[in-house]
Amino acid sequence: MTVVSAPAGSGKTSLLRSWAGRPGQRYRLAVLQVQRDQQDAQQFWLALLDAVRHASATTGRAEPPAATPDFNPPAMVDQVLSELADACGGITVVIDDLHELTSPEALAQLTRLLTNLPPRVHAILTTRHDLPLGLHQLRLAGELAEIRATDLRFSESETCELLDASGIALSAAGVALLHQRTEGWAAGLRLAAISMAGHPEPERFVAEFSGSDRTVAEYLIAEMLERQPEDVQDLLLRTSLLDQVNGELADLLTGRSGSERILLSLEDANAFVVSLDPERTLFRYHHLFTDLLRLELRRTRPEEIPALHRRAAGWFILHGQVAEAIRHIEAAGDWTDAARLLADHSLSLALDGQAQTMQALVQAFPPGADHPELAMVRAGVDLNQGRLDEAAAHLTVAETYTQTAPPDRRRRLRVAVASLHLSLARRRGDLASVIEQVKFLASPVTGRSNEDITLGSDLRAVALMNLGTAEAWTLGLPDAERHLREGAILARRIGRPYLEVSCLAQLAFSYIFHGAALPKIASFATTQRHCREAIALAERYGWGTEPVVAPALMTLVSTMVWLGEFDEAERWLRRTERALQTDTGPDIRLLLHQTAGMLHAGRGRRHEALEEFGAAEDLASQLEGSQALASQMTGWLLATQARLGLSGKARALLAALDDERAHSGEILNARAVICLGEGDPAGALGALRDVLDGRAPALGYTTVMEAHLLAGFAHRELGDQRAANQAAERALALAESDRLILPFAMTGSAELLEALPRHETAHAALLVGILDVLHGASPAAKEQPSLPPTEELSPGELTVLRYLPTNLSRPEIAGELSVSPNTVNAHIRSIYAKLQVRDRSSAVRRARELRLLAAAGRAR
Amino acid sequence: MRGHLPALDHDRMDPVPARYMIRINGHLGATMLSAFPALAPQQHGAHTVLTGLLDQSALYGVLAEIEALGLDLLELRKLNPDRESPQIDHDRSP
Repeated sequence: MTVVSAPAGSGKTSLLRSWAGRPGQRYRLAVLQVQRDQQDAQQFWLALLDAVRHASATTGRAEPPAATPDFNPPAMVDQVLSELADACGGITVVIDDLHELTSPEALAQLTRLLTNLPPRVHAILTTRHDLPLGLHQLRLAGELAEIRATDLRFSESETCELLDASGIALSAAGVALLHQRTEGWAAGLRLAAISMAGHPEPERFVAEFSGSDRTVAEYLIAEMLERQPEDVQDLLLRTSLLDQVNGELADLLTGRSGSERILLSLEDANAFVVSLDPERTLFRYHHLFTDLLRLELRRTRPEEIPALHRRAAGWFILHGQVAEAIRHIEAAGDWTDAARLLADHSLSLALDGQAQTMQALVQAFPPGADHPELAMVRAGVDLNQGRLDEAAAHLTVAETYTQTAPPDRRRRLRVAVASLHLSLARRRGDLASVIEQVKFLASPVTGRSNEDITLGSDLRAVALMNLGTAEAWTLGLPDAERHLREGAILARRIGRPYLEVSCLAQLAFSYIFHGAALPKIASFATTQRHCREAIALAERYGWGTEPVVAPALMTLVSTMVWLGEFDEAERWLRRTERALQTDTGPDIRLLLHQTAGMLHAGRGRRHEALEEFGAAEDLASQLEGSQALASQMTGWLLATQARLGLSGKARALLAALDDERAHSGEILNARAVICLGEGDPAGALGALRDVLDGRAPALGYTTVMEAHLLAGFAHRELGDQRAANQAAERALALAESDRLILPFAMTGSAELLEALPRHETAHAALLVGILDVLHGASPAAKEQPSLPPTEELSPGELTVLRYLPTNLSRPEIAGELSVSPNTVNAHIRSIYAKLQVRDRSSAVRRARELRLLAAAGRAR
Repeated sequence: MRGHLPALDHDRMDPVPARYMIRINGHLGATMLSAFPALAPQQHGAHTVLTGLLDQSALYGVLAEIEALGLDLLELRKLNPDRESPQIDHDRSP
C-alpha cells in the first residue's frame, strides 16, 4: 500500500497519471477520483465498487452497482473485498484526492478495506493531509510506502529537465532563481512553464517573478490568465463554479460556442485542465486552480455569479442531475426555489441513495428562515437515520403545509406525506392505524410535464410498495398482492430495481398467509418460488443480504421449516439475520425470532425455542398495533412453556389474553397442550372442539392440522386408539398436498404416527418421510445429486468452506481459525477453483449439493 | 472554498470567539485576500499576518481555506485579549 500525502499543487495527481501511463504495468488499475467535498458514503462506495468491477473485468456477470435507500456499509466493504479477491490477476486500487471524502463513516469503513486487502491487490491513496485511517499496523509491518511533500519537490536539475521538455530556453542562473522562488513546488513550476512558453523574454519573466513578494500561486495564475485570449479567460472564470464541465455546459455559461475546443487545447497545453473520460468530453480543473479562479470571479464580477449558478442549475435539471442543480440554486441564494425542488425530489433522491447528500443540502439553508416545505425533506432524512420521533414531528408540519400548498402541487405533496407516514408506521410496527388514511395512494398521480410524470411514477411506485406492504402485514390480501404486483411492474418499467426487489420481497412474504389459507397442491412450493425470484433479482444487484430482500429470505426460511428442511432453513436463517443487521422495523425482527423459534421447536430444542418465542413476544409488546401472526406466536409460546412443564406460567399468560385472542384456533390449541400437560385429556378435547369444527378463527389449515394431532394425543390418553388413529390420519390428509412436516415435529407426534397401522393410512409414503425427519434425517438427503466429480478439498479448505455459509467476513473467519487473512484467502481461491465457482454464494450452493457442509451442521 | 456550500452545521454551539493571528508566507494579493473576508491583513516583511475574531468552526474553515489555496502556514496564535491587541491595518492592498 502506498500513501501520497502532500499539500495542494505538489504534483500528486500528475505523479499518479504518469505512473499509470507507463508501459508494462503488471496489475490492472481501478481508479477512483473522489468527488469534491464528498459527504455521501454510499456514493463513494458505489463509485469504488464500479471502478473495481471495471478493472477486474467481472462486469457482465451482474448489474452495475445501484444505490439503495437503506445502505449497508459493512456488506458493501465485504462486497468490494470479495470482488478484489475474485479478480483474476492483480489489481491496483487508486483513490485520488481522498481528503475530499468528508464522511467519517466512509473513512472508518475504508480502514477496514485497506487493512484486509487480499494478496496481489495494491492500494495507492493521494491526499492533501494525513487521514485517520489507522494504518499504523501496516506501517509497522513494513507494508506501507509513504510519499510526502519533500519527495515530490523538484530539484534544480529536475526543474531544468522540466523546462527543457517544455521547450523553454533559460540560463542556469534563471533556472536557479526560478527553483528558489518556487521552492521546487510542482504547481508553481508548471504554471511558470506555461507562462514562459509564450513569453518573448523568459529571463525577464523569471526576474520579475522573483522580485515579487506575492504568493507563488497567485502571481503565476494571474500571469497565466492575463496571457490567455479574452474568451479563454472568460470561460475559465465562469466555469470555475462547476465541479465538472463539458463543452455544452461551458457554452451555456459563456454564451459562446466552441468551448469544447478550448478545453481540449488547455488540456493539451497541460494547463490544469484534465479530461475525465476516454472520449475527452468531460473535464475538471485542478482544485487549487479552481479555487483561485472562483476567488477571482467573486472579486472581479460578483454580480454575474447568481445568474451563472441559475443557468448551470437549469442545465443540471434538464439532465436529471437534481442534487447538483439544487446545490447551484442554493449557491445563487434562491432558497425558496431550492426548498421547493428538494421537497419535490426528496423521495426520488432517497431512492437514488442520496440521503446523505440531501441532508447536506438541507443543512446548507441559512438558520432562521422558514421553509415549511423542508419539513418533509427533514422527515425523510430523520426516517432514514432512525430518528422516528423527530420524523413524526416534521411530518406533522409537512402535513399542515400540504393543506395550504398551491393546488397544482398539493396532490403530489399529499402522496409524499402519506408515503412517509406509511414508512414511519412500518418502522414502528403500527401499520393498521394508518392504512385507511392512505388507501388513496392506489390511484395514479396525474401530471402534465415530463418532470411531473417521472416524479409521479417514483411516487406511485413507492406508494404502491408501502401500501401493499402495509396490507401484507395486516392480512389485507388480496389487495396486498394486487398492489405489490402493480408496484413491481411499474418499478421495472421506470428503472427502479430497488423498488422492484422490495415489492417482490413483500409479495413473497404475503404468500405465507396465502399458502396457509387452504391446502392446495404445492402452495408452499409456490411461495418458495416467489421468494427465490425476489432473492435472485436482489442478488443481481448485489443486494442478496440487504434489508430490502429480508422479507423474502425470511419467508423462504419459514417455508423450509414448515417442510421440515431444517438444515437448509438454518443456513438461510443465518443469511436473513445478516440482512437484518442494520436497524429495520421491529415487526420483521419479531418474525425473525418467531421463525428461529419454529426451527428450534421443529428440531425438538424446546429451551431454545422458548427463548426465541419469548423474544418475539417481548418485541410484540413494544409494537403500537398488533401484528398479523400474533395469535400463532403467542400460541406457540404457551405450548412450548407447557411442554417444558411450565404450565403455571402458561396458564397465567393465557388468563391475561383478551377474549378475541383467547378464542383463536392457535390459542385454543395451546390451551389443549396445557391441559395435556396437566393430565387432563378431556379438557384438551374440549378446547380443540371449536378448532376442529371450524368455529374458531384460525390463521390457516396448519392450525387445524395441529389440532388433529393434539386430539390424537388426547384420545390416546383416554385409551381410544381408534380415535387417535383417525385423528392422525386426518392430520396426514391435510399435510399431504404440501408435505408439511413442522406440525408433526412440533407436537412430537412420532409415537402417534408409529402407532398408526400402515394398512389404515392412505398416506404411507408421507408418513415414512415424516418419521425420517422426526428421527433426524433431512428429507433432501434422500436425493443423491448426480454432479460431475470434483477435486477433493484439503482438510484446511474444508474447514474454511464450512464458514462460507455463515455471515462471517474473511478476516473474521481468519480470526475464528487463528490463521492469517491471507491463508483464508488462499484457501477460498482454491475452493473456488476446485468447485468451479466464482463467488461465495455459488460455492456454498455447490458445496451443499456435494454434501460437503453436512459435518458443519452437526458440529454446531 | 469548500464547494459552493456555505458552512455546515449551523445548529452547533461554538465556544466564545477569540482573536487569532495567522502568519502566512508571501504577500497575499487581492484575490487571495478575498478568501478571508473576516480577517484583517497586515504585511510584515515577506509575510502576511491575518488577524480577526473567530470561533472554532470559523478557525477550522480558515485553516481549510489556507490548505485549499496551497498557502504556506507559518504561525497560528490565539491572542491574549488584555495584552496583545495589534493595530488593525485597514490597508488591504498587497
